[in-house]
Amino acid sequence: LKMKRKHLTSAQSLENEMEVLNEGEESAKDTEGIKKKAETVNEDGVLRPLKLSKGELYKAPTVEELNQLKEAESLFHCSLLKMQMDELLKEVALSERRKKLVDSFVQQITDVLQSVPETPVVELTDLSWLVDSGIDVPFILVPDATKGKFHMEPPTSIDLIGSYPLGTCIKPKVSVDLAVTIPHSILHPMDGINQRYSRKRALYLAGLAKHLSCSSAVGTLHYSCLHGNRLRPLLLVTPSGKDSNISLRIHALPPPNFLKPSRLHPQKNNIRTQWFTGNDSQQGNGPPTPHFNSTVLGDHLPRSHLQFLIAHSAQCPAFGDAVSLLKVWLRQRELDQGIGCFGGFLAAMLMAYLLSTHKVGKTMNAYQLLRKALHFLASTDLTENGITLAKNPDSKAPSLPEFHSAFQVVFVDPSGHLNMCADMTSCTYKQIQHEASLSLQFWDDPTLDGFQALLMTPKSMIRTYDNVYQLSDLVKMQASCKKLGLLASLMDHSGNYVLAALPFILSLLQRGLGDRIRLLTHSLPPDPVWPVNKEPPKHKDQPPLSIGLLLNHERALSVLERGPPADSPEASEFQQLWGGRSELRRFQDGAITEAVLWSGTTTCQKRHILLEIIVYLLELHADIPESCVRFVGGQVDDVIKFGKEVSSTGEEESLKVIQSFDDLSRKLWQLDGLPLSITSVQGAHPALRYTQVFPPEPAKLAYFFFKAKEKNFHALLPPEGKPCPYYITPIKVICHMEGSGKWPNDHLAIRHIKAAFHIRLGELLKQQHAYTYRVTPTYLDVWKDGLAFRIQVAYHRESQVLRESVTAEGMLIQRDNPEAQALELETKHKPFLTSTLHGLQQQHPCFGAVCRLAKRWLGAQLFSGHISEDAADLLVASLFLQPAPFTPPSSPQVGLLRFLHLLSSFDWRNSPLVVNLNSKLTAADYTQIKNHFMLSRESLPVMFIATPNDKNVSIWTKEGPSVQVLQRIVTVAAESLRVLEAQLINPRQKQDVRVVFRPPLDTYDVLIHLRSKQVPLSANAVDRPTTTVLRGNLDGEVRSSGGPFPVVDFDPVRLYLSELRDAFGDLALFFCDPYGGTVIAVLWKPKAFQAQPFKTSLMNASKVEVAEDVATTVPNVEAIVQDFQIIGEGLVQKVELRTEKWVV
Amino acid sequence: MAAPKKKHARGACVILGGFTVLSLKFQPNSVAQHQLCVKEHRVRAEKNVKRPLDRTLFVLNIPPYCSESVVKELFSQFGSVQSVELSEKPGSTEPETNSLSKYFRPAHKQCFKVGYIVFKNASSVAAAKAHPPDSPLIVSTKEKPVQTGLQKWIHEYKQLFVKPETLQEAVDEFMTKYDKKKEEEAERLQKEAEQQQEDKEGWVKVTKGSKGIKARPHSEVANKRALQKEDKKKKRKELLNFYAWQRRDTQREHIAQLRKKFEEDKQRIALLRSQRKFRPY
Repeated sequence: LKMKRKHLTSAQSLENEMEVLNEGEESAKDTEGIKKKAETVNEDGVLRPLKLSKGELYKAPTVEELNQLKEAESLFHCSLLKMQMDELLKEVALSERRKKLVDSFVQQITDVLQSVPETPVVELTDLSWLVDSGIDVPFILVPDATKGKFHMEPPTSIDLIGSYPLGTCIKPKVSVDLAVTIPHSILHPMDGINQRYSRKRALYLAGLAKHLSCSSAVGTLHYSCLHGNRLRPLLLVTPSGKDSNISLRIHALPPPNFLKPSRLHPQKNNIRTQWFTGNDSQQGNGPPTPHFNSTVLGDHLPRSHLQFLIAHSAQCPAFGDAVSLLKVWLRQRELDQGIGCFGGFLAAMLMAYLLSTHKVGKTMNAYQLLRKALHFLASTDLTENGITLAKNPDSKAPSLPEFHSAFQVVFVDPSGHLNMCADMTSCTYKQIQHEASLSLQFWDDPTLDGFQALLMTPKSMIRTYDNVYQLSDLVKMQASCKKLGLLASLMDHSGNYVLAALPFILSLLQRGLGDRIRLLTHSLPPDPVWPVNKEPPKHKDQPPLSIGLLLNHERALSVLERGPPADSPEASEFQQLWGGRSELRRFQDGAITEAVLWSGTTTCQKRHILLEIIVYLLELHADIPESCVRFVGGQVDDVIKFGKEVSSTGEEESLKVIQSFDDLSRKLWQLDGLPLSITSVQGAHPALRYTQVFPPEPAKLAYFFFKAKEKNFHALLPPEGKPCPYYITPIKVICHMEGSGKWPNDHLAIRHIKAAFHIRLGELLKQQHAYTYRVTPTYLDVWKDGLAFRIQVAYHRESQVLRESVTAEGMLIQRDNPEAQALELETKHKPFLTSTLHGLQQQHPCFGAVCRLAKRWLGAQLFSGHISEDAADLLVASLFLQPAPFTPPSSPQVGLLRFLHLLSSFDWRNSPLVVNLNSKLTAADYTQIKNHFMLSRESLPVMFIATPNDKNVSIWTKEGPSVQVLQRIVTVAAESLRVLEAQLINPRQKQDVRVVFRPPLDTYDVLIHLRSKQVPLSANAVDRPTTTVLRGNLDGEVRSSGGPFPVVDFDPVRLYLSELRDAFGDLALFFCDPYGGTVIAVLWKPKAFQAQPFKTSLMNASKVEVAEDVATTVPNVEAIVQDFQIIGEGLVQKVELRTEKWVV
Repeated sequence: MAAPKKKHARGACVILGGFTVLSLKFQPNSVAQHQLCVKEHRVRAEKNVKRPLDRTLFVLNIPPYCSESVVKELFSQFGSVQSVELSEKPGSTEPETNSLSKYFRPAHKQCFKVGYIVFKNASSVAAAKAHPPDSPLIVSTKEKPVQTGLQKWIHEYKQLFVKPETLQEAVDEFMTKYDKKKEEEAERLQKEAEQQQEDKEGWVKVTKGSKGIKARPHSEVANKRALQKEDKKKKRKELLNFYAWQRRDTQREHIAQLRKKFEEDKQRIALLRSQRKFRPY
């Protein structure tokens, strides 16, 4: 019998990946270039400490070098950030080659456009001249009647505008703007009203498209519109051939002096009501149309804006770089595209404003400019105090208050007539302000990788905001416009009901959610793109509108909305907002006020209160039915839900456990008759810090279920031939006894004394409080309130005693050893971690839920055995303690997403993950940790987590994961994140979050299927079983003390796993979901299966093969597989060999 | 010791190193077999009296479900077995743990083990070595079933229960022994100390002692602390930036530090660049 690998199996590919990771060690051993590599490194991707010769370090510095070092030290945080920014700029800048391509393409297109043929004059509504070419008009022609004539004619001029000529064009979406001037002869001075000009512009663009479609230089032709504004269609042209990353955006613009700016004053009307509604009874001009006006006005100004910007850019050498950086910053925050965005143009204008008002100096570098710009954004509220670039605006230009009355955000252009932020909602501006102040906060934090957080981390909506709600089926907003009476706004937005209703919906939600939230944002409707031969997409075809909330965790989940006193004038306002839900209530303090009460008793239910509020308000005030509103990710916590009557995600159960523990601890303190007093009682179990995935529930036992009873001990035993009994988690409690001279100075003796203490504690608890107990030499189990507490006595000097030994010379020396470390971990580090994380939970109420979700994911993906619970909790804690560039998560779903992102994107090889518990670490500590980490990278755990009490060892990840497993975790996490996010944001996909909790089993070699009856936690499996198994527990009140001692900590799966790992740990890896998984997956270690020469130490589980006087050993696979069955007799259902990957 | 591979007449399979391969089955109807390698126990200087050289059989690869009693049963077909000793690795055992009561012995790993089987007669060793590989040893028979899996775990769970009184007895027994040992030690130390005292006439008797152990062992930590204190004192006395050369040195050091940091950062950047880490999206 021979075992051979058929092909490169997953295990081997893992191994290969690992080798890439490990290459550092391996290649360093390689024959050549040991020295060379030590100096240049980097080929293998591992950082090594740098060794510089003395001569190099201490040579006399040149003036230039001195200046450079000085600059790096004083202007920048450190030279690293400067270099990082330079690299980033290099990465996003256009290459010379690309520029040449663009230039030649622009030239080609210009030539083609110059030769647009003239067409005869027709009525504006007559589209017959276009029809035969198959090109459609990029405009929604509603209402379709318009006056006017139109014909095609070559443009008067074609110029480059926008970011490309300014030099601030960045990758990846290289778009070059080309302004094509519509000749005067096509336009008519009265075109300013009723969209006539806009329609002509669209028609002219269609005419250009028709002409371009015949040209060979053109690859594809699409329509789009500028910042989602349907009145400003664009023609997107890509070159034929491979390089399709470039796209040319053709704007059709009127001659600069076409309409007088005064006609487009924000208080003028340019859309007549009777034309728009088709209703002749309306008289007069109608309401002002500021948005329409600014759109038309905006078409007149791009060339002068460009000149203005170029003039400023010429003054300040770093202008272009700074704008580029700001654009990257905006793009990472999804603020640079869509309707009402803060695009690259505004970024440049902002920089110009800062320059012209001397808020920044001309000699500042890009880094400083960016910083100043963010500072300005954070500190200036453009929704209240608009700014203007106009130096001496003419008398007809509107004043700032006039702008403010028409628009939410005001930033006036150099001409003084145009508000460049016309489409921006105040929510978006608040979001920008929030982002800017957040960025400034962590910019200066030396403990952070500011660059990464500032410019490199994408902040997608779903990962940034605690709650995201999607409004789909936007056609319903038409009804809301009617309900809210928004005809004027509808006209202003030329029929785009989503835009018309949005500000009202936002302010409604802002009022309704009040202090429950810290920030309300919405997604910017993206720019539509459609082919030139298709009709423009309708307003209702827009993707769903997302609303993001940052919660104020103190108030977000409260069930009560307390309003003003009944007799106050605000009461009617409150009633108007809440409608029928508002009622008069009398409170304990005697006040009678208006109030709204929402439903929900458990935290899990309360998480849906916000949804309830949003649905209620939208239905009441905007006629948007409940079916349109979707709580994105609200169902993620399903996998940690349990409880039969009231669904709960464990917060309440954990609280019960902690209360019971507090009671126990008090009772321990007060015990009479102990020879030494207790100095501390500390919890050392995840359930005591709210992070146990399924916290222990008080159990009431059905005694008939347990037939066998240990008579001498008054205890229940697991019954043979029945399903495995209900699992009772032992909750570990460390009980430190006071120090005393009577403690022996020998570790064996200490252990005996501790056993004696266990006996004594048990007896006293029984005597004084009637608790049943079980004593063993190493712990004492106490049965209390339906929970089992495992008390371990500890003596603070024991670890030291273990370390001490006396040499032959009589010198007392201390040597670290694994035994002492393990003891310290149990009695010192674990309790400390538990209390610290418990504190964290008090600050961030959703910490526990995120931990539970994260650990549920790790468990479900079979990684629990490799990342310890404590390490997982620390990983989650880092999300809360160092959230940059985000804010600490306030909902489980966003926490899970960020956890997966952390796992998959953190550079475990080159950086330590520092978890600054209690903010005890200083910047110097960080540097020290990093230096130590770099110095001894090879000997440290693959996943390195440093905490204030453990700066250099990473005690929680010492045992694992191994390189291979970590690599696998990273891969699976990345894939899970991708799948989960794609599912959550797409309402059309089936919403089944369990998909990411089902492990891919096809990579494993052997699957051991277990009988679910013998798996005690099978009811908590990801896919809940349909049948329930009787396990001897009952519903109902539990007794607080007494009764027979139950079956505690009897989990056959864990026992089986530990036996498997003991016996075959050298040959295979075992994976299992501890929370009710019924499969144990086995992966052979490829290295173990190479034939080895016969040695007594290598004989375990192997067989000997003799060939030509040489005896070799290989694992005895057949017998091993049979042993899987034998060792797990009664638990194992079947052993499935996935022999498609290997042969026996 | 490289004995060539030879097939014995009776079919015993002998391989390199003088090991005979025996096969082992869990149950009579099991399909797969484990291979045990056995050999007479032979080391140059055996100090362990429990392993007499002539009567001890050394066995490799004993599966985890074979306890000492099971192994005893298995090998008694070659002659009566006096004792069985199983351990994780070949070599001598730690004597310390054996003296402890069973509650305080460290838990054993349930892995494949090596065994030392002491027969009553030396001939049994030879018999075992001559056993042919095609008639496997059976671990669990109908008469003497071996518990594994659930049954075993339930049994082990029962074993967890200890009467507090019995445990207390074990503790007391150990502690009395320990106290006695301590007392003896203290007495001995006192005697030594007394001997080094001056007698009436001012004479001190200098004895060899037990390798010069002092009454109180000085500790490494204390030594270190003393050295550190010295250093601190020295430092406090030093003047900083007093002489011109000192200031020059500090400046030089500062520049060197900056340079070093710069070089490190450069290295880091180069690494990140090579990993394409500067692509923002």
